[in-house]
Order: sequence, then structure tokens, then C-alpha cells
Amino acid sequence: MAPDPIPARPFPTLECRNCGAGAPVDEHFCPQCSRILALGRHGDYFSFLGVPRRLTIDPAQLERRFRDLSRQFHPDYFYNASPSERLASLERSSYLNDAYRALRNPISRIEHLLAIEGLPPAKSEGSSAGSGQTAAKVPAGLLEEVFELNEQLDEIRESRESGTDAAVLRDRLDSARKPIDLKREEHERKVELLSAQWDQQLDAGDAAAKRATLEALRERLLERNYINNLLATIDREAANLEARADSSVRL
Amino acid sequence: MGKVVGIDLGTTNSLVAYVRDGVPHVIRDASGDALVPSVVSLGEDGTFFVGREAQRRLLTAPSRSVYSVKRFMGRGIDDVRDEAALLPFNVGGQPGGVVRIGLDDREFTPPEISAFVLRELKQRAEDDFREQGEFDFEVDRAVITVPAYFNDAQRTATRDAGRLAGLEVLRIVNEPTAASLAYGLDQRDRGIIAVYDLGGGTFDISILKVEDGVFQVLATNGDTHLGGDDIDRLLVELVLAEIGPGGSKEQHANGGSKEQDPPYVSQPGIVGRVLLSRPAEEIQAIRKAVIEAKLDLTEAEEAEIRVETLAYRRPITRAEFEQLIRPLVERTIQPVRQALADAGLEPSEVDEAVLVGGSTRVPLVRRLVSELFGRTPHSELNPDEVVALGAAVQADILISGRREMLLLDVTPLSLGIETMGGVVSKIILRNSTIPASGREMFTTGVDNQTSVDIHVLQGERELADDCRSLARFKLRGIPPMPAGLPRIEVRFQIDANGILSVAASELRTNIAQTIEVKPSYGLTDQEVERMLIESFEHAQADVDARLLIEARNEAESVIHATEKSLRRPNFAEIAAVDLQAGEQERIEAALDAVKQAMAGSDRDAIRERTHALNHATQHLAEVMMNRGVREALAGKNVKDV
Repeated sequence: MAPDPIPARPFPTLECRNCGAGAPVDEHFCPQCSRILALGRHGDYFSFLGVPRRLTIDPAQLERRFRDLSRQFHPDYFYNASPSERLASLERSSYLNDAYRALRNPISRIEHLLAIEGLPPAKSEGSSAGSGQTAAKVPAGLLEEVFELNEQLDEIRESRESGTDAAVLRDRLDSARKPIDLKREEHERKVELLSAQWDQQLDAGDAAAKRATLEALRERLLERNYINNLLATIDREAANLEARADSSVRL
Repeated sequence: MGKVVGIDLGTTNSLVAYVRDGVPHVIRDASGDALVPSVVSLGEDGTFFVGREAQRRLLTAPSRSVYSVKRFMGRGIDDVRDEAALLPFNVGGQPGGVVRIGLDDREFTPPEISAFVLRELKQRAEDDFREQGEFDFEVDRAVITVPAYFNDAQRTATRDAGRLAGLEVLRIVNEPTAASLAYGLDQRDRGIIAVYDLGGGTFDISILKVEDGVFQVLATNGDTHLGGDDIDRLLVELVLAEIGPGGSKEQHANGGSKEQDPPYVSQPGIVGRVLLSRPAEEIQAIRKAVIEAKLDLTEAEEAEIRVETLAYRRPITRAEFEQLIRPLVERTIQPVRQALADAGLEPSEVDEAVLVGGSTRVPLVRRLVSELFGRTPHSELNPDEVVALGAAVQADILISGRREMLLLDVTPLSLGIETMGGVVSKIILRNSTIPASGREMFTTGVDNQTSVDIHVLQGERELADDCRSLARFKLRGIPPMPAGLPRIEVRFQIDANGILSVAASELRTNIAQTIEVKPSYGLTDQEVERMLIESFEHAQADVDARLLIEARNEAESVIHATEKSLRRPNFAEIAAVDLQAGEQERIEAALDAVKQAMAGSDRDAIRERTHALNHATQHLAEVMMNRGVREALAGKNVKDV
């Protein structure tokens, strides 16, 4: 299936450094002299790749598009070109690689969509500082599970320090993990539903409904970060148990 | 425009190849040998030997002969101290700076040593083109391969070496990827390829997806300090342990003096010296012997390590050999697993496994790769030559604009910058397709601050101390503003060579920032320029040395011929009959003059006086010749009668 045609912009926003002709921002080559165009300030990976702004993308089609554009931009083919064309080739190739990387993965695809639709990034404040969930606000749908898990983790830590058998603790950790795994599965389903909803609205939805879907997607991403942090905490505790089991064997 | 070649600059051997009529060829010497040993030796008269000749000198002049220099490219002395201890040449350098190698009273950086090898390859290619009757035979551009897991500093050092050798480096290509190009020429199929590349000093694993002529690397991993050299070292250590320090086996058995570990004496600023417990000649003789045994064990079940000079002989079975090297070979498993995981693939999803590098001839390595991927690996192409062939193909793509094939490689290591508390903030993640770019915003912490320091690192660890320091940048010229107000955008660009460049601008004022780069383990542009100039000067010095030798040789032969005439038993009679008055005295004076000049090293004086002696003896030579002819004719007449 050929990608949908890119809607023409009313005003040219790129200027060819070779012939001075104007070109729409999503053009890669000058319509007049067919030289590669400097990238300019492009911000939309979907339109750059020439694919519609959908969250359901056929990976094989996206990959073909990536390969086609790579063959057009790659610096290998601009070795003998002018310095400005070489720079344009380097910039376009880099941008293409970034775009493909972002759209290939369903979650980073949503993140990019939210960014170009003008929503604030769905990054919980505490996550980059490394300390994890303590700094971030607990998403409403997770309150119960988080409370339960923290209680159990505290107990497991205490038992670990008082020397309870590692196998017993591992079982307890596994059962503490189960509700979080279930939440994670439920979360995946919700993300899929919302993504499908967005794709339908893209063709026929009104602005308010689309906005609501995007907000909901953003909430889901915040929730996702939180769930992943919880799972990471459980994994760390499991690693602690393993380490202790190892050292006791050695002793 | 001159010719373009592809070069595999290896730890142990190097090769040069080029494409003719669409087909890559490796350039061989007269005896059909394509491998140029990556060995450089400084002769006692100041001239350099490269390749086979230098390799022979490893045994006779080990302290003046450098090998495996690739292991030191882009590295600091702190990184290589342990392995330097077993090398017979001087390895040193300032802590925190590049490695320096001492030869005689001169000091060289690894790129300078590598440049000697590259010049030899360039020469070899030019000779080949000239022999084919090419009018334009000069080689001025090259694609050079590096291990996929080389970091920025190691890549930059390789490019510097090319520049020093007078080559414009069109592209730095990863060895496993180059190999896949060479394979892809014959088999235009599609699928997932795993390239397992175990060379002399480095290990790489690359997972590629091939489709429509696009060779896309999905993930790469490796170890830049794992290869055949390490196998050799284990064997050398085995032999050393058996013969004991400072003597033969018997001495060791008698208890003898157990020497301490060889002391490493580092003299900051000048070349550090590695003291070995045994003479360097012995170490090299042992090394040569174990390599021969290792090669024998590729085919044979049993071989012998034989060091004639030490009267040492020892049988070694393949089982024993494999037991010894197994831990080394198994160090390749984790990188393979990581690369597959990064590519999101199971081993069973790999369609083809390809073996590259001389060390993949070791049967244990082949077995391991078969087990890892559950299939027999490909080795149709010579594992020593396949990388150079691929480099030639890539060079051809670059200059011809052919678009049937395209390599999309990745950056092997994440790139990041140091933030508060020594934590690394990642900007470009490992296995990102290159070229790749990333940007990061900075601001100031103090009112009217006009510069910001940025520390760039490469690696996967969280803390700056655990990553590889690439460079420190200073952003200057920030307009004075209250703290936190400037918005400085720093853009990181990794090009298709996997080499980083950085640009920055302050977004409020749109003022571009100047960036001062201090590479942590590399050479600055100024240093490379200086080395270029020096290498030209040395090239001139080398030419001078050669011309002096030629002048001396010519003088020798004229002196010899003259003295031979003067010493003839019947010379007094000849002089009396055929020479003019004073002629003999003039000849003797000219002879003395040449001998005097020979005591010095003034090439022009030697040549002038040789010329004068030639002139002075011209008449004598004619006389001698006429006499000779007469005698011959006389003899003939007698015979004829």
C-alpha cells in the first residue's frame, strides 16, 4: 500500500540552497533542480517519513519506507556533491534514523504523537533522578496495588534480614508480583484500545474527542512508567535474594 | 584524482584491495602473499622496515620492532599497562594521555606506527597499478576498516593514521559489516546474518538484516581486547612458567632464584620502560614457536612447541590447548547474547552465521559458533581477506555512486554527558543507526557565567567514572545573563564513520558557541599537523640516509677498482711505459681525498671526490683496458698459430 499523499502546505517553508526555489517542508529534494534540500527545523516524524499520523503502523511498510529514504539520503551517495548537499544528506539521514527509531516502537510512537500534538511529555518527575516512584504521584488506578506491594516488599526485606529461607521469600515475591503483572496486561490492552480509537478519530473525529483521547494516552504513559518502576523494584529485590543465596552457598 | 583502495588495518596482518570491473581483488606480492604483517621496525641506521622484513626483525631486534600496535590505538597508558608488560618494546606515556612507543631515541604514537603500515600498503597498491600499466597509479584515498566495537577515540586514531600516511580516509567501516558486503556480493539473498569476527586482537559480533541490497546492522557488540594475541600470550605464559625465570628448565627445578614480577618503571613525560624477566629475544622466539604450534593444531590433534634457542621442546595436544584457551573463547558468548537481545532476536532466527578473522580457524571457535547459532557457519571466503574485499566494495560505492548496495551501520556504544553527581545522561543510545544525532539543553549556574564545561563519555554504565571519557568541551562566549536564563543547545552528531562532532548555540540570542575540544585519549588537530610535518621531514631524512648509502657504495667500488690496479705486480712497469709524469701521484691524491670524505657523512663531498677519482683514473683505465685487449689478442694469436 502506498503511503497517503502529503497534503500540500500553502506556503513553501524550505529554500533550495542551489537554485533558490521554495519547497514544502516535507519535501526532501528541490522540486525545481532536484538537489537534496537542507533539513530546516522539521519536527514531525510522521510527515517526514510520509506516513499518516496513525498509531497502528504496519512494521514492514514502515521499514520499506525507511530503506527507500535511506537510499535517497545516505551520505555514501553524496561523496562527490557540494559541501551544502553533503551536510543536507548527513542531516536528513540522521533525522530519518531518529524518525524510524521513534516510530518503530509503539510506545515511543505515542510519545512522539503527544509531542507534536502539543501535550507535555509523559515523564514522571522522579524517574530521571533514579530514585523512582517515591517522587512521582501515584496514578489513581494503581493506589491499591501500590499500597499492597509496598507492604509486602517491606515484609520480605525484614524477613530477608532476619534470615528466612531464600526459596520461601522468592515465592512470596512472585505472588507479590502477580497483581502488578495483571495491571501491566490490562494497561497494554487499554493502550491498544486508545490507539485504535485515535486512528478512527483521525479520519472522522472532532477536535475535542481527539484531544480527550490524547489526554487519556498521556495518562496511560504516566501509568506505564509507574508500573515499570514497580516491576524494576521487584526485580531488584529478586536480585538481592539471588545475591544472598549465592553468598550463603560460598560461605 | 588518484586511485581508491580498501584497507583492512589488522592487529596482526594488514591487507589492501580494490575493485576492478565491479569485482574486488586483494593485492598480492610477487609470491602471492596478500598479508602484510602489521609490524614496524627501526633499523640501526635509522631506516624503517615494515611487514615481513620487520617481522623477521622481531627475533633479532625485538626492542626496535613494534607489533600489535592496533591494541594501543586511541588508548591511554593506564589502559594497557598490564599487556605492555609482556611486550619487548617500550610502551609509555603520561598518565591520562595517549600511549607512546619508544624506538631507539625516538617516540611514536600508535597512529604514527600504523601510518608506516598504511604507507607500505599504499606503496604496494601503487606498484600493482603501475605494473598493470596504469598511467595514474597514485593511491590517495582509502576506506579503512576498524572493529565494530571501536570507540570514538579508536576510530579517530585510525583516521589520523590514514592522514599521516597521505591518504584521505573516505570512510571508516566496521570490519564485520565490511565482511558482510563481501559475502553479499555472491549471495544476493535476504535474511538475518550474524558475523562472528575474531581477529588478532579484537572480537566483534554484528547482527545484520539484509533486504533489497540494504545491509542494515541491527546490533553489534564485542571486546576490543580479545583475539589471537591473547591465545598466544596464554601459550607464552605457559612456556615461561615451565622454563622458569632467568634460565633453563633445570635451573628452575633446582629452586634457583625466584625473581619478582618485572618492575614497571614509568618515567613521566618520556617513554616508560618495561623490564622483562627474560631477554626480549627469548620472548619473541617463544612467541614464534607457540604461534607455529597453534597453527599446527588447526589440522593436527597434536603439535610441538619447539624453541631451538632455549633447547625447549614440549608436545601439546589439541585437548590441552582447548582447555587452556576455553575461558578466552567463552568470553565471546556474552557479547553474542547481548547483540541478539539488542536486535530482539533468538539465535534460531539467525539465517546465516559468517566467520571472519584468522582466529576463527581454531576448531574450538568453530564448534562454539555452531553451538551458539545451531548451524554450521559460513567460511567460504578466506577469513583473512574478506574484510579487505568488503572495504574495497565500500570504497567503490563511495566513488562510483552505485546504489545497488547500502550499508547502514550502528554506533556500538551509547554516547552521553556527565551531569550533576557524576551520573551519565545518555544522548545517543548504542545500536542507533548512524548517522545519528542528539541534542541536549544546558544553562548556567551563576549570574553572568560565560562558559560551561561539558564532559562527553561513551559507554553503557551509569556513572561517568565507569564510562570512557571521549572529550571535554568548553562552551565559550555565552552572553552574560542571570543564572539559568541562557538556553544553550548542544548538538551531537555521529557521522557515518561513527565519529562524533559537536556544535552549540545559545537559543535566546542565537549566538553560536565556540567549542574547545580536548580529546581524552586522542591527538588534537594541531598534533596531527605537527606529526605530518615531522613525517615529511623524516621522509626527507630517510631519503638522505638512502642517498648517502648509495654514494658510499659507489665510492667503495671506485676505491676498490683503483686500488686493485695500483696493486698489480707489473704496475711500476705500466706506469713507466704508459702513464704521464705525475699521473700516479694525482691518482693517489684523489684516492686519499675520497677516503677522507668517506670518514665523514657529507654525501656531496663523497660524490664529488668519487667523481674526481673517476676522472683521475680515466686514462689509467683506458691503459689497462688496452693492455688487456692486447694480451687477449696476443693469446688468441698464439692459439691461432
